[in-house]
Amino acid sequence: MVPISYYLILAAALFCIGMFGVLIRRNALVVFMCVELMLNAANLTFLAFAKQNGDFTGHVSAFFVIAVAAAEASIGLAIVIAVFRSRGTVNIDEMRTMKH
Amino acid sequence: MNVELVLFGAFALLTLLSAGLVIFAKNAISSAMALVATFFFLAGIYVLLWAHTVAVLQVLVYAGAIMVLFLFVIMLLNLGESTATGPRLTLSRIAGGAAAAGLLVVLVVSIWKMPVRAETFTGPQAIASGFGTLAVIGQTIFTKWLLPFEAVSLLLLVAMVGAVVVAKSRI
Amino acid sequence: MDALKQFFMTAPVDPTVFAQSLWLIIALPLLGAFVCGVFGKMLGRANVHLIACAAVAGSFFLSVLAFWSVSHVQGGVPVSTENPFSAGVIRYAISADYGTWFSAGTFRVNYGLMVDHLSGILLLVITGVGFLIHLYSTSYMEHDEAYWRYFAYLNLFVAAMLTLVLADSLVLLFVGWEGVGMASYLLIGFWYSDTAKAWAGRKAFVTNRIGDFAFLIGSFLVVLLVGAFNAQATSGNFAQLGGNTEAAQVRFREGLQQRGPLSFRGLEVMANALPATADAAQGGVSLQSTIAEGPLAGRTFGGVLTVALLLFLLGAAGKSAQFPLYVWLPDAMAGPTPVSALIHAATMVTAGVYLFSRMSFLLVMSPTAMVTIAIIGTFTSLVAALIAFAQDDIKKVLAYSTVSQLGIMFMGVGMGIFWAAVLHLVTHAFFKACLFLGAGSVMHGNADETDIKKLGGVRREMPWTWATFLIATLAITGIVPLSGFFSKDAIFHGVHHNHLHGYEWASNALYYVGLLIAACTAFYMSRLYLLTFEGKRSAEAKVAHAHESSWYMTLPLVVLAVLSVVALVYALPLMPGRNGPQPVMENFLGPVFASAERIAARGKLVELDHSVPTLGNYLVAWLVVVASGAFAAFMYMKFFPSRAGQPAPAFARSARRFAQNKFYVDEAYEFLVIRPVKNVSAILYKLVDTVLIDTVAVRGTAWVTARVGSALRYVQTGDAQAYAAVMALALLGGAVYALIQVLQ
Repeated sequence: MVPISYYLILAAALFCIGMFGVLIRRNALVVFMCVELMLNAANLTFLAFAKQNGDFTGHVSAFFVIAVAAAEASIGLAIVIAVFRSRGTVNIDEMRTMKH
Repeated sequence: MNVELVLFGAFALLTLLSAGLVIFAKNAISSAMALVATFFFLAGIYVLLWAHTVAVLQVLVYAGAIMVLFLFVIMLLNLGESTATGPRLTLSRIAGGAAAAGLLVVLVVSIWKMPVRAETFTGPQAIASGFGTLAVIGQTIFTKWLLPFEAVSLLLLVAMVGAVVVAKSRI
Repeated sequence: MDALKQFFMTAPVDPTVFAQSLWLIIALPLLGAFVCGVFGKMLGRANVHLIACAAVAGSFFLSVLAFWSVSHVQGGVPVSTENPFSAGVIRYAISADYGTWFSAGTFRVNYGLMVDHLSGILLLVITGVGFLIHLYSTSYMEHDEAYWRYFAYLNLFVAAMLTLVLADSLVLLFVGWEGVGMASYLLIGFWYSDTAKAWAGRKAFVTNRIGDFAFLIGSFLVVLLVGAFNAQATSGNFAQLGGNTEAAQVRFREGLQQRGPLSFRGLEVMANALPATADAAQGGVSLQSTIAEGPLAGRTFGGVLTVALLLFLLGAAGKSAQFPLYVWLPDAMAGPTPVSALIHAATMVTAGVYLFSRMSFLLVMSPTAMVTIAIIGTFTSLVAALIAFAQDDIKKVLAYSTVSQLGIMFMGVGMGIFWAAVLHLVTHAFFKACLFLGAGSVMHGNADETDIKKLGGVRREMPWTWATFLIATLAITGIVPLSGFFSKDAIFHGVHHNHLHGYEWASNALYYVGLLIAACTAFYMSRLYLLTFEGKRSAEAKVAHAHESSWYMTLPLVVLAVLSVVALVYALPLMPGRNGPQPVMENFLGPVFASAERIAARGKLVELDHSVPTLGNYLVAWLVVVASGAFAAFMYMKFFPSRAGQPAPAFARSARRFAQNKFYVDEAYEFLVIRPVKNVSAILYKLVDTVLIDTVAVRGTAWVTARVGSALRYVQTGDAQAYAAVMALALLGGAVYALIQVLQ
């Protein structure tokens, strides 16, 4: 038997790796991919607890997370395309319109 | 030392390796492919967690549809070449990195300090109740979680329309 | 005869009905002031004159009705009004309460108006003399552009003075007190484009303010005293009042709740219930018992009362121009002459005397306060008389004369002869107003010349002015049979025969100084009269011939002169009294001062005499005055002109200069008080205000905020990853905190 905590630690590690990537990488698309990583870590946590409790509400939640991630990915990529079209780059260092 | 543990160890290691590859790869295509690999290995772990349906959905939707979308966009924007320089080390980046590392430590510590609960949900019970099967999940979704289901379908519609509108060059 | 008496004792309007309209007496001049002030320029000179005079005339008419009402006797029972503080009634009085002004806890102030014999007389004086002066002003100010402002202020003054006199509590009295101070400031500085005149107004106001501050502190002490009395009094105290003691105490508490601690009625009941010594108290509190709790704990009732009365003395000194706060009155002559006549002769300066008459029942409980008042009054009177010897400005002489006569009134109040002080107040109002208006008439006819050395021989050219001025001068010096003689002599007689426990020496000493003051008064007033009206025209006169003034100005003069003569009736012993014939005024004011008499008789601290001056006393007084007047005539008609051209001896010259410069009192104040205050104020301005508050606190705060803002600006980089990093750090912090909480 693999104790649940092993799965949870794996999920935590995945989450932190994803967060690390979000805060470090310059390419907008890679940042997006790291966000997907974080979502998957959350999914893993849901499923681990579902197994522990014998309650498949976690599975349903993971199902919905996947659906929402799909919707979010499509819109986010559309935005990246639009930004690329107006600026010619997806390098987030060069997108500073929020600067005061 | 049983099969489950070995399988878990293998899949976990591979998942972490490919996740690391995602964030350290030089070009976007490599990151995307590494991410696909991560999803596949994650699906394996899901199976170990008796979540068959979700594992299949993961491969179908995540690795199959979303990553394909990602690859389309990368190729559309012609971002295949690798960028020469790495990320510039600014204060915010260092802080961010430290935050991530710190968070990892905190989470591991808190998980480690979690009180151990006896695993009461056994395998035979799972098989008997149809844990994680499509039939049972489907039944739950269409009865108890019907409203969120319909809402998500609406959400997907909105996302479709939004994506088309945002990405058009001329509205 | 009886029918005449009956006529005067039956008011035309039912007193209780009339009492509800008492507010109209104050409202009419106030309305006049408003209309003249706001619409005066539009209305034109004639209309403004009409409105202002009509307002005061209306007030006078109502005052006559009020005076008649409080003399009303029906079926042998005099008019009376309910006393909210005791079971008995207040006889010969009407009152009206118009609701609460404000209340805070146990402290309450009501709009309450009250007329008794004392305020009745003063109402008539204020509105009557006020009306005459309004009439006079219509001609005196005919060439002035700001006539509407003048009449507005004059009406405002009358309204404020009426509030002061009609008030039935110390707080409402103080409202009138401040109001007249403000009106005085506005009127003294009427020609404000001349800086010196404006500063005279300022000086009056600031000096008054010092007195007002003392008044306020005195009132606060009285509030605390009443509170302590209410807490500590037992039935033994209320037994002094007669009747059911339980009911009396309950009624007193009820009154305090409904009318507040500063109502004169309540203070009167408390004074009656507070005996002087412990053995007279039958187990209750007395003047010698100590206050148990509160900010005054540990001090005796008598001690606190004395301190409060001394503070009221300082306040009255400010208003009535006594030492040390008299310096504003001579400077106040910068205002128009009718103003000097009304405010600084007849009415405002008498507010101090009125205050002490109102609180006579408190005064007789403190011989220390009384003797202080008497000494201050005497001292001021003497000093002012000596200064008046050497003044050349006609108005300044009259101003110092006013200060001197007020000193005599204070002497009377201080020694307990209240009715005579009030009588002198009334007669002084008449002849001093007549003198001031006469001086104004002289100035008007001589191209505003005020230096008496440059006048002379006006008698032939201005006959009406001359005649009235002569009568008024004779009245003030005290020549029989004019009223001033009787009122002044009544005061001196009372001073001589009343005794204060512990200060018996004061009676004789003050009497002889009083005779000296009478002599001085005769001297300088004769000098004034002779130099102005008699003799040859001075070579330095501005106009060769003076012209008589119009009837607007001479009619008030005549009326006032007649009143100066006729008022003597009030001093004659014509009424039946306890120990034989009593002067009319003493009998008239009997109900007002009954409490004071009773407390004095019971407490044996103050011995009030009721004898009538004998013929011998009259003779002595008359001789002193006649001798002094004759001496003045000799000096100024024969002696000095015969020595014209020969220099006067050195000491005489320096004495004259000393007196002419007002004994350098103003300069002393400048050095001792004003200079240090200005220096402290300059330090506070330069150091505290400019540096500490302005630069460090206000501008410093703004500077710090701006610096911090420009520093924080650099956080807004526009870099989304930086923002995300901050969020991650916050998340980490939250996670750590949650972990620690769980682990504990």
